[in-house]
Amino acid sequence: MECKYACGSAEHVSRRTFLSGSAGALGAISFSGMVQARAAEQLASQQKRCVVFWLSGGVSQLETWDPKPDTDTGGPFQAIPTSVPGTHISELLPYTAQQMHHLALVRGINTKEGDHGKGAYIMETGHPQTPGFDYPYIGSAFSSLLSPPDNPLPGYICVAGGGNAREASFLGPRFAPVGLADGKPPANLALPEGLSADGDRRRRELRSKLNGRFVQGRRQVETEAYNSSYDQAAALIARREIFDFGTIPDTDHERYGRHDFGRHCLMARKLIESGVTFVKVTHTNYDTHSENFNFHLEQLGEFDRPFAAFVSDLADRGLLAHTLIIVMCEFGRTPRINHLVGRDHWGNAWSIAVGGAGIKGGAVVGKTNANGTQVTEREVSGGHLFHTYYRAVGLDPTKAFWHEGRPFHKADPKTEPITEILA
Amino acid sequence: MASGCLLSNCISGRTRAAFGRAVLYLAMLAVAGGSACAEERLHVVIDRLVALQTPDYDKLAAPVCTDEEFVRRIYLDLAGMIPTAAETRAFLADAEPNKREKLVDKLLASPEHARHMQRVFDVMLMRRLPQKHVPVAEWEKFLRESFAQNKPWDEIVRAILTADGGEAANLGPARFYLDREGDVNEITRDIGKLFLGANLECAQCHNHPQIEDFKQQHYYGISAFFVRSFVMTDKEKHVVFAEKADGETKFESVFEIRDKTSKGPQTTAPKLFEGMSISEPKFEKIDDAYRVKPNDKDKTVRPVPRFSRRIKFAEFIASAENRRFCRTSANRLWALMFGRGLVHPVDLDHTDNPPSHPLLLAMLTEEFARQQLDIRLFLREIALSKTYQRSSRRDEPGTAGAQGAEKPQTNDSQFAQALLKPLTPAQFAWSILQATGEADLNRQALGDKLTEAALHEKLVGYEQRFVQLFGGEPGHPREHFESTTDQVLFLANDPMVINLLKPRGGNLAERLLKMPEDNPGQIAEELFLSTLNRRPAAEDILDVTGLLAGQTGDARSIAVQELIWATISSSEFRFNH
Repeated sequence: MECKYACGSAEHVSRRTFLSGSAGALGAISFSGMVQARAAEQLASQQKRCVVFWLSGGVSQLETWDPKPDTDTGGPFQAIPTSVPGTHISELLPYTAQQMHHLALVRGINTKEGDHGKGAYIMETGHPQTPGFDYPYIGSAFSSLLSPPDNPLPGYICVAGGGNAREASFLGPRFAPVGLADGKPPANLALPEGLSADGDRRRRELRSKLNGRFVQGRRQVETEAYNSSYDQAAALIARREIFDFGTIPDTDHERYGRHDFGRHCLMARKLIESGVTFVKVTHTNYDTHSENFNFHLEQLGEFDRPFAAFVSDLADRGLLAHTLIIVMCEFGRTPRINHLVGRDHWGNAWSIAVGGAGIKGGAVVGKTNANGTQVTEREVSGGHLFHTYYRAVGLDPTKAFWHEGRPFHKADPKTEPITEILA
Repeated sequence: MASGCLLSNCISGRTRAAFGRAVLYLAMLAVAGGSACAEERLHVVIDRLVALQTPDYDKLAAPVCTDEEFVRRIYLDLAGMIPTAAETRAFLADAEPNKREKLVDKLLASPEHARHMQRVFDVMLMRRLPQKHVPVAEWEKFLRESFAQNKPWDEIVRAILTADGGEAANLGPARFYLDREGDVNEITRDIGKLFLGANLECAQCHNHPQIEDFKQQHYYGISAFFVRSFVMTDKEKHVVFAEKADGETKFESVFEIRDKTSKGPQTTAPKLFEGMSISEPKFEKIDDAYRVKPNDKDKTVRPVPRFSRRIKFAEFIASAENRRFCRTSANRLWALMFGRGLVHPVDLDHTDNPPSHPLLLAMLTEEFARQQLDIRLFLREIALSKTYQRSSRRDEPGTAGAQGAEKPQTNDSQFAQALLKPLTPAQFAWSILQATGEADLNRQALGDKLTEAALHEKLVGYEQRFVQLFGGEPGHPREHFESTTDQVLFLANDPMVINLLKPRGGNLAERLLKMPEDNPGQIAEELFLSTLNRRPAAEDILDVTGLLAGQTGDARSIAVQELIWATISSSEFRFNH
C-alpha cells in the first residue's frame, strides 16, 4: 500500500512508523502495552502545545491590540496602560492588560486579504490559497509534528465544536480536528450497555488472537495500522476522564464567567493540562459591519476575563513555558467607520497577540501610522507568522512537508521568523 | 495448453467466443519467447504474462487460494459484500470442478453486481462530491442500469460526456459536468486522471516539473474542448451545460513569467496529447457558427453552436480507437480486482513510470478494445485467472520454520500473492449486515416483495453511516487504508453496530445461542462460516470454547455477542484477502 502521507519515502511505511521516525523498525514495535507508559512519560516531559483563540469574523485591531484613540478612525474607546510599561491596549481588555508581560503583539500584519475564507486560510496555513496545494492547517500540522506518536489523545481538538477534516490535508485523518460539539466528549467513549470492562477485555483478547493467526504468512502493514487504532481507542477510553468537564471546580467557573466562552476556556485548560497538543477555542460574532463598538464592547467583555484567567492559570501551573498561545482571526477591521457605525473587512494593517512557549513576553513588533491605515514599520504576513510559530515551539519551519514528490513549505521560504518576539 | 474453450453459457454475448481467443498478442508472445495456441483463453494468457515478468515466479508465488478464500473474495469483489453462511456452505459443498467459474458468472449477472459497480464508479467518477444540480439518485440509477445491462464502457462514458442536463429523461449522466459547476479546470483535471491515466494537475500552471511527458500544452489541449462550455439556467429553468461557438484557451508558464523568459500567453487547438487533434469547421461570421445564437438581452436563451467541441471530445476520447482510453480503463479494472494497477498509481501513466507488466497491459488493452470494451467479460477473465486466485498467504503457518527458511519476499507489483484490500465503506457495512444475519432477517420480512432494490432501501442507512465515517471527505474520498480512533470507537461501542450483535428473530446470535451448549465446535463452525466464510481451525474452536465455558443465561448471550464482535472487528474481516 502506498503511503500517501509519508514524506516521499518508500512504500510500505505505515504512517505511525513514519511518525515515530523509525521506518526501519516496522513490525518490531510491540505497540500494545506501550501506550500507557509512553503517554504518561511524554506528558511529564517538555512536549510543546498550542492553543489558538480564534475570534471568528475578524476582531477589530483598533478595539484590541492597536488602539488609536482621539483620531478620526479611533472610535470612542480609550487606550489603557498594561503590565508592560509603555505598551497600551484598548480599554475593552482590562484583565488582558494585566497579562501583557506574558504576551507579545504583532502590529504590522498585512495579509492583503479581505475574504473570510481566504483570510482564514492564510492565517491557519501561512499561505494564500493556491490551486493544487492543500496546505495542512496549523492544528493538524502541530498535531502531527508535536504529538508523541503513541499519545492516545486526539492531537487537535476544537472545544467549541466545528473543525473540518479537510484541515489535515495530506497528513491524514489522524490529524484532523476533533470537534467537541456543545462541549460533549467524542462519541462512543462509553462501553455498550451490558458489557463489563471484563467482557470488553475478553472480546478484544479474542480479536487479537484471531489477528495473530490471520497475519501469519501475510503482509502486515495494513493490519498493523488497523490493530494499532484499536490500541489507541482502548487507551483513549482509559483516559476518557479528560473529557469529564464536570469536575472543574465551581470557583473556576466563577473566575472564568458562566457563559460558553468561559466554559470553553476551562475545557481548553483541562485538555492542555492532560497532554492534548493543540486546542482551538472559537469566540464568534466579530464581523461587525454595523454597530462595531457595541458589539466589541459586548464580545470583548466576554472574552477578556476568561482569556486573561487562562493565561495566568497556565503561567501559575508552569505550563505557559510549553504552550504557545495565539489570538488571531481571518483579518482585522477597517480603520474607516462606515455609515452603520461599523467596520468592514481589512487585511492591510492589523494585529495579533501571541504568548507563552518561545515568545518574549511584553515584546511589541510592527507599527501602523497615526490613524491605523497603513503599516509603517516591520510589515509581516502569513509566512513570517508561521516561521515564528514553528520556531516558538522548537520546530524547524524550513524543512518542508513532502507529499507526492512535491515540497509543501511549512512557512513561505521568502519570509523569515519575527525574531523580535522570539525568546 | 488446453485448447478446448470452457466458456460457460452464463454470459450472454455477442463476443463471448471471440473473447477466449488470443489473436493480437500471439505475435507479442512469440517475441517474448512464449508459445500460445490460438484458442488460448484470456485468463490463461494473463497468468502466463504475469509469470513471464518475474524470474522464478512459480517458486515465489503463493498457491491458488482455497475455496473458502475464493468464495469470500469473489463475493466482495463482484457483489460488494460477503456471502451468507448458507451461500458459503453451498459453494463449499459443490463438487463440480468448474464451480468457481459458475459462481463468477452468477455474481456478474446479479443485481448486487450492478449496485456494487455503481458505487465503485460513482466514487471514481464523482469523488463523493456533494449534490448540486442533479439528484444523486438519478446519477446512481444511470450507472446501475448501465452496468446491469452491461453497456460497453465507451458507451457509458460517451453518455456521461455528452449529457448536458437539457433532457429531463437523461439527467443522471449530466451530474459529471453540472455538479462540478462546469468548472473547466476541474473537468480537465478529472478527465485526464480518469480516462487518460494522466494526472495533469501540475501542468495547469507550468510543464510538470518531474514528469517529462506531461506538458502545459497537453493540459490546455484538453481544456480547449471545454473552454466554450458554461453552466446556465434556460427558459424552462433547467440548469444546463451550454456551449458557445467561440473562445480559446490562454496559458502562460508561471515559471517563465517568474524567470522573465515568457513570450506571452499561448493558445492551443483542442487536442489529446501529441498529434491526436480534431478538425474544426470554419465559419466566416460568428453568427454562422450558431444554430441558436446567444442573446445578450435574454440570458435564458441557450446558445447552440453548429459545431460542439464538447460532443466531438466525447466521441473522440471514449472509443475503442483511442488506445490510451482503453489502456487506462483496462488498468483501472485490473486495479479494482487486484488492489493495484499494472500502471501504479493508475493516473500516472507516463514514460518514466512504466507498467509492471508492459506486455500484459498491452495485451489487455488490445483485447479490451477488440471486445468492444465489455466490462463484464473483462472482469470475468480476470476472476478466472490464477493470478487473481492466488492466496494472500504465501506460507502456511508453521511450514516456513520447519523448512528452515521462509520464501524470499515478493513485492506488490509482481502479483505473486493477493494483496489485502481494505473493504470499502459499503462493502464493510453490507458484510456486517450479512455476517450478523441482519440482511437475512430483512430478506425474510420482505417475503414476496424481496428484490435487491427493496433490501437496499431497507438497509441503506447502515451504508450511509459507514460512508460518512470511513469514506473520507466529500470531493476527497479516502484512497488509502486509514484507521482512526473514531471509526474504531464506532465499531466497538456504537448502538448501530452493537444492536446487530444481539439475539433476535433467528439472526446469528440467536442461532448460536440455540445450539447445544456442549458442542462448542458446532457453534464455532456456524460463527466462522457466517462471519469469516471459513470453517474454524482447531485453535479457533479452542478460543470459542474457552470464552463460552461456564457461561449461562444472560452471561452466555453477552459472551456470544463478544464472539461475534471479535470476528467482525478482526483484520480478517476488515480486509478483502
